[in-house]
Amino acid sequence: MATTTTPRRAARPVRKDTGPPPHSPSTTRRRRRAVALLYVLPALLPYTLFAVLPALHTAYLSLFDWDGVTLPSFIGLDNYRRVATDPQLRAAAWHAGALIVFFSVLPIAIGLVSAALVARRSGRRGTSLIRTLLFLPQVVPLVAVAVIWRWVYAENGTLNQALRAIGLGRLTDSWLGSFTWALPAVGLVGTWVVAGLCMVLFLSGTQRIDQEIYEAARMDGAGPVREFWSITVPLLRPEMAVALSITVIAALSSFDLIYITTGGGPGNSTVVPGILIYRLAFGGGAVGLASALAVVLTLVISVAVVLINHLARERS
Amino acid sequence: MSHVPAPPSRRSFLAAAAGSSLLVACGSSLTPGAESTDAASASPVSTAVPTGKITLVVADADDTTMTPGLLAAFREKYPNVTFKRQYTGWDDYLKSINTTMSADSAPDIAQFVSGMNNLVKGRLLLDVGGYGKAYGWSRRFPGLDQITFSADGRTAGTGALYGVPGGLSFEGVYCNKAKVRKLGLAVPPATLAELEALFAKAKAAGETALVAGNLDGGLNHPFNVLLSVHLKPEDREAWAFGRKGAKITGPEAVTAATTLKRWVDQGYVTPKVNGTSDNDATAAFARGEGVFRISGNWAAAAVDKGLGEDAGLFNMPPITKGGPLRTTGAGVYYCVSSKSKNAAAAAAFLDFCATRQASAVTAKAGFMAPDAGAMPQQSGLLGDVRTGWQGIVKDSGLQPFIQNASTPTMPDTLTTQLQLLAGGKAGVEKFLAALQADFDQFHS
Repeated sequence: MATTTTPRRAARPVRKDTGPPPHSPSTTRRRRRAVALLYVLPALLPYTLFAVLPALHTAYLSLFDWDGVTLPSFIGLDNYRRVATDPQLRAAAWHAGALIVFFSVLPIAIGLVSAALVARRSGRRGTSLIRTLLFLPQVVPLVAVAVIWRWVYAENGTLNQALRAIGLGRLTDSWLGSFTWALPAVGLVGTWVVAGLCMVLFLSGTQRIDQEIYEAARMDGAGPVREFWSITVPLLRPEMAVALSITVIAALSSFDLIYITTGGGPGNSTVVPGILIYRLAFGGGAVGLASALAVVLTLVISVAVVLINHLARERS
Repeated sequence: MSHVPAPPSRRSFLAAAAGSSLLVACGSSLTPGAESTDAASASPVSTAVPTGKITLVVADADDTTMTPGLLAAFREKYPNVTFKRQYTGWDDYLKSINTTMSADSAPDIAQFVSGMNNLVKGRLLLDVGGYGKAYGWSRRFPGLDQITFSADGRTAGTGALYGVPGGLSFEGVYCNKAKVRKLGLAVPPATLAELEALFAKAKAAGETALVAGNLDGGLNHPFNVLLSVHLKPEDREAWAFGRKGAKITGPEAVTAATTLKRWVDQGYVTPKVNGTSDNDATAAFARGEGVFRISGNWAAAAVDKGLGEDAGLFNMPPITKGGPLRTTGAGVYYCVSSKSKNAAAAAAFLDFCATRQASAVTAKAGFMAPDAGAMPQQSGLLGDVRTGWQGIVKDSGLQPFIQNASTPTMPDTLTTQLQLLAGGKAGVEKFLAALQADFDQFHS
């Protein structure tokens, strides 16, 4: 409410000052809209300057063959043709798809279950501690997270030590250096980071659900499992849409975590689009191609997010 | 002797350090790219150090005490010159230096890394040839022709001079003397085959023979050195410097790659090498793990600290007994921005790097001084390093890293391919073909 009343109040002196001839309603509305725009300006200006213009510039650069230093040459859509055909880029797309499982599917499942569990014991001692602990990975910078997990996954790291301690020494591996395990290993770090966020989202959602619904269900003889599937999950759909959007974006645009842990290796087994964009632009001297890939990645993410929100709205 | 192939000459000293770098230099206009401004060549040249108060901005990625030490020593001599040092970690430096140098506020002096030769074309580096002539650098610095570039920046060894080396580095074979004694190994081996026999003995005794880490592509150290030993110097240099038509798929290269693969397959190399980083491998060796490690003198300080009297180093042995020593190395080079307003002072600093005072600082930091004779006597590991360096210099055996100046993408490609090779996902032929494919794509 506050947001709608403020501009109106502020608009009044403007109307007074403009003098006697009364304005037609349409002029007033136009003027109000102009004033409203003024209010948006402080946010719009930096957004345009630092987000919209660079994005447009990237799109513009994607039409050039440019090494980043010397004069570029215009090559039209050639970079996009390469994006569509390069096998390494295709592998990167597959890896990003696999990361959705680790960044979205798993965290949302874990988040739902833990939210349901924590919600059931709300008010009891220790609940806020559990909540804080689960949310903690969100607070730690991702680079620090990646460094920590590099130690966990190292040949003599915590994970292998733990395996040896419980007599599973033959299962140990050099996780980040394994062609089989590197991608799941990095993915699980993502799960660890994002699950807490999902839980907090869902927890706030459960507080919105009327307790009477639960009581009614209980009176009808529903157990905790039934409650979870028939009440919690369906009523959390809006939160799930938000969680899915955030985590799919995180999965598709992942970079820092992989850059620090594996750098895309071993071989190309954990290469994702973000890593390729970085390599091409900053190491490979192919700024145009990197820009084209960035544009495509942005479009794919946008489409994914629109789809997710569309689906969520349709069902509810 | 007259049939001995031409020594790699002084140019091999210069090989510059790893990587390449390019970055979006967002100018004020929408059209990208550096404007080719008027000549970046040296204006009035003077060997007199200016007297007024001067501040020089220095950008570098030197994590040793050398660069700060040289700056401090220079300032002691010329108190009117103040330095503002912008240190950046190696990886970030590689990725950002070209943008930094393109900015209007470019540092006066920058550590030169390969990839920066692109700046030559954009005329962002100062042609210091005039100063070089005035100061007589060609007599005082080894291998200036490798920081000499053609106008398009693509070919080294011809064109204008863009800097000097502050300190140089080379790869050698570290050994844990305590283990060597315990296992009864005879070091230094006279040939590569003898070295491999030592590996086999160490392995048989249950030791990790060759400590390595390939999470970030550290197997490039043994691979580069094996190429140095096996390839004809001129072939190796042609490829490393990106000369058109050069090949890395010949029989000598196959032998080098096969040797490395065999070391991995025989279990000489650290197990699961793809999961250990190069730094962690050095740390493990310094803690007493394994018997040998192929790395550069930059690791000497860490190894010396960890192993103390048990630390040793010898040069990579040649294929035939008594043959010329060959190894891979790089250096820390300084270049000057064409936008610098204090070029004369910057040139004075470059000149200072060849002085006896500078040599002491350089040697203390673990680097090889341009003035090899001025390096102080040392005992223990650092003494071994000094002896090793003198052997390499005598045989003109220092050669560039193959990933540094061949193509901009080679550091990543080499890392990826070494991981595939070590992980058993690619054979020797496929491995070399992939390196060649990267090369051919850039130089087509």
